[in-house]
Amino acid sequence: MKLTENVLEIRNLLKDFPSVRAVNDVSFDIKRNSVHCLVGENGAGKSTLIKILTGAYSKSGGRILLNGEEYNPHNPRDAKQKGISTLFQELNVVDQLTVAENLTLGMEDTTLGFLRKTDKINKMVSVMNSLEPSIKPRQLVSALSVAKKQIVEIAKAVATESDIIIMDEPTAAISEGEIARLFQIVRGLRAKNVTVIYISHRLDEIFELGDYVTVMRDGKHIDTRPVSAIQDRSELIRMMIGKTVFEAYTPKPERSRELVLRCRNLTNHKLGGISFEVRAGEIAGFYGLVGAGKTELARAIYGVDEYQGEILFKGRKLAPSPDKVIAAGIALVPEERRSQGLFTILTIRGNVPVMNMAKVSRHGFINSAQERKVTQEYIEKLRIATSSTEKEVIKLSGGNQQKVVFSKCLFADADLLMLDEPTRGIDVGAKSEIYGIIRRLSEEGKAILIFSSELPEIMNICDSIYLLYDGNLKASLQNGPDIDSEKIIHIVTGGEGK
Amino acid sequence: MKTNLGARISNESFLSLFMLGVLVVLFGVACLFVPNFYRPQNMVNILTNNWFIVILGIGVTFLLITGNFDMSVGGNIAMTGVLSVWFCQAAGVSQNALANGLGLPYTAALVLALMCAMGIGAINAFFIARLKVPSIIITLGTMMLARGVAQIVTRGAQRNTSLPDAFGVLGNTAIPGTSVKVAVLVMIVLVVAAFVFEKLTVAGRRTYLIGANPEAARLSGIKVARHITLLYLASGLLAGITGILLASEFKAGVSGRAAGYEFDALVIALLGGVSIAGGFGSVLGMFVGAVILSVVTTAATGLLLSPDWQFTLKGLVTFIAILAQRFALDRRKA
Repeated sequence: MKLTENVLEIRNLLKDFPSVRAVNDVSFDIKRNSVHCLVGENGAGKSTLIKILTGAYSKSGGRILLNGEEYNPHNPRDAKQKGISTLFQELNVVDQLTVAENLTLGMEDTTLGFLRKTDKINKMVSVMNSLEPSIKPRQLVSALSVAKKQIVEIAKAVATESDIIIMDEPTAAISEGEIARLFQIVRGLRAKNVTVIYISHRLDEIFELGDYVTVMRDGKHIDTRPVSAIQDRSELIRMMIGKTVFEAYTPKPERSRELVLRCRNLTNHKLGGISFEVRAGEIAGFYGLVGAGKTELARAIYGVDEYQGEILFKGRKLAPSPDKVIAAGIALVPEERRSQGLFTILTIRGNVPVMNMAKVSRHGFINSAQERKVTQEYIEKLRIATSSTEKEVIKLSGGNQQKVVFSKCLFADADLLMLDEPTRGIDVGAKSEIYGIIRRLSEEGKAILIFSSELPEIMNICDSIYLLYDGNLKASLQNGPDIDSEKIIHIVTGGEGK
Repeated sequence: MKTNLGARISNESFLSLFMLGVLVVLFGVACLFVPNFYRPQNMVNILTNNWFIVILGIGVTFLLITGNFDMSVGGNIAMTGVLSVWFCQAAGVSQNALANGLGLPYTAALVLALMCAMGIGAINAFFIARLKVPSIIITLGTMMLARGVAQIVTRGAQRNTSLPDAFGVLGNTAIPGTSVKVAVLVMIVLVVAAFVFEKLTVAGRRTYLIGANPEAARLSGIKVARHITLLYLASGLLAGITGILLASEFKAGVSGRAAGYEFDALVIALLGGVSIAGGFGSVLGMFVGAVILSVVTTAATGLLLSPDWQFTLKGLVTFIAILAQRFALDRRKA
């Protein structure tokens, strides 16, 4: 087979979702046997692009050529057979099996359904030995570190003669030493005729490892260049955020406001001693990349995860248990609305009053007229698109579901609201409505904590901004006209400086 | 017309109505083929025969709605019945060990027996709600444990002598002027109370919330472990009440009593549309399920089918009813 210079050519690729074009006319090439980095903010379209390449999504338009031939995978298995393997953040190894069994998983040689020992396994094992001799084929995978599990997956991809291995933030969950080892292996893959598409939010890694870098923004392809042609981090950051004009943030008039929440030295498996204060009417934004510790911070305050350190809410120490935290006056809009926020098989009326049943009941008996009334009030107040209070939540759109979660938390009459990724996966219209709700709440004097991985969201509505990296609070800033988004990206991607 | 109605009511009401329809059809068919099936006395029998399964079904239904099983109820009945006898049998009156009890006053014996029944519930709750062990495993364990206690206390047989006269009263008294037993009255009161709990109380609502999404329930401030604990205690208590009523009816504590009742209670809940995935179902549905089962077994007896066929018949009815439910729900969604 004649090898083309480009292993992958993407031409005018489109992907439409209801109400949003996630990949918009993207075209670029990936050179054979290179490490090609893909960067962009959350929502830039990287994940969608990757999902098309791995066969999880089908494209809405355009062409992809793999080794010069039309490439149109039906599913991840098909993609793998055609030569594109992926190292997901959630690794595809089975803990209870041995390394050797994992290597041949899904392609065992069998006779009448019984496993047969063949040369295949020896070949796999020898590839793995060449990558990392310290992993023994008979070892149970559960005994391996995350980094070594990754190596098992890489070995499998190499042994099955993949042309491309996509690595989605492989360094997010492994230690410094392991990162160095991983990089060594990734560099060695070139010699094995493998091209790597490398996705990472840690920009330093791109300079250390990458041959080429492609920047995406708002679903569009911004540029593809050799990494050597990029001066420094800040040039890359400028390409990532562009001249995005953030919806103007208007500072609030200075008022002496009462202190609502004070956290001192919060420490646990993820958090490295976080301290901050929030006042009534303040919107505080916690910004960081995936894995920076935003959700863990919210869960610690809410009493779901254990922590050391002290949390004072309105001057009182907060007991670490959600029911007590809610009773004290704090409500959480969780990160995953379906699995953590909603009772999707129940009706809107079944969901809205849940956090404050006392308000719609007497002596333990529910007043259903009252319940209907307040549900109707929230449907109108937050403009939830539904025909009645009795509609099951699962039948609502994402944005309307999120409004139900908000209703639920607002009904708790909390003085402090914690919003974890409040606008994830909802369309632009619903987003701006939710920002409106948040601003209104802050004007009513509620303190609000927003945990978000979307910078425009943070810069748009937060009064104070806290930057998290790897479980640590790296900087705190006041929002205002001279706030510097490049500096923010610099800090949350692991750059130094205050 | 039917689709119009179908669109307006909730899945839960739809299923209850659907199973009620199934019941009416089955009843009609039985009336055609079985002599005297339509007689009022037979109908009363059908509604009341299964009182013990219905009482158990209440606890089992609420636990299923939270996404948990309770397979310990049958064994618990045997244990409580045997203990209630043993506690109030006269002490030291006979050479025969099985004729000697603890000689406690009758009421004390009942209270103590009920506490033991709730003890089984407490063991279930400890492992399931606190230690998060799957409920099916734990309650199968306590099922054996409870029946084991009954076997030890009766030496694998039964206790039926040296009982106070009061012992047989509860299970053998009819409500004045009727032939309805006290036990049936207990069932009616409990079903009504369960219905009120389910539809009107905050605690009833919590049961559904926990079943619909335990994580969201916890993050919404519901004390999930405490609620499940209370439900297991209640289910133990209901099994205990049933055990005492049955022991009184037969004036005996029999170690083999109520074998398989836990499955019957599960079957009527499933027939009534309770979902084993949690968050869905109702006590009234469960009652309809109990009546369906009763119609089928009564009709089989009326057709002079040998009792050996009962199990096979129950199995078939369960399959058909649950397939019909699935089919109806899928059609509704489409």
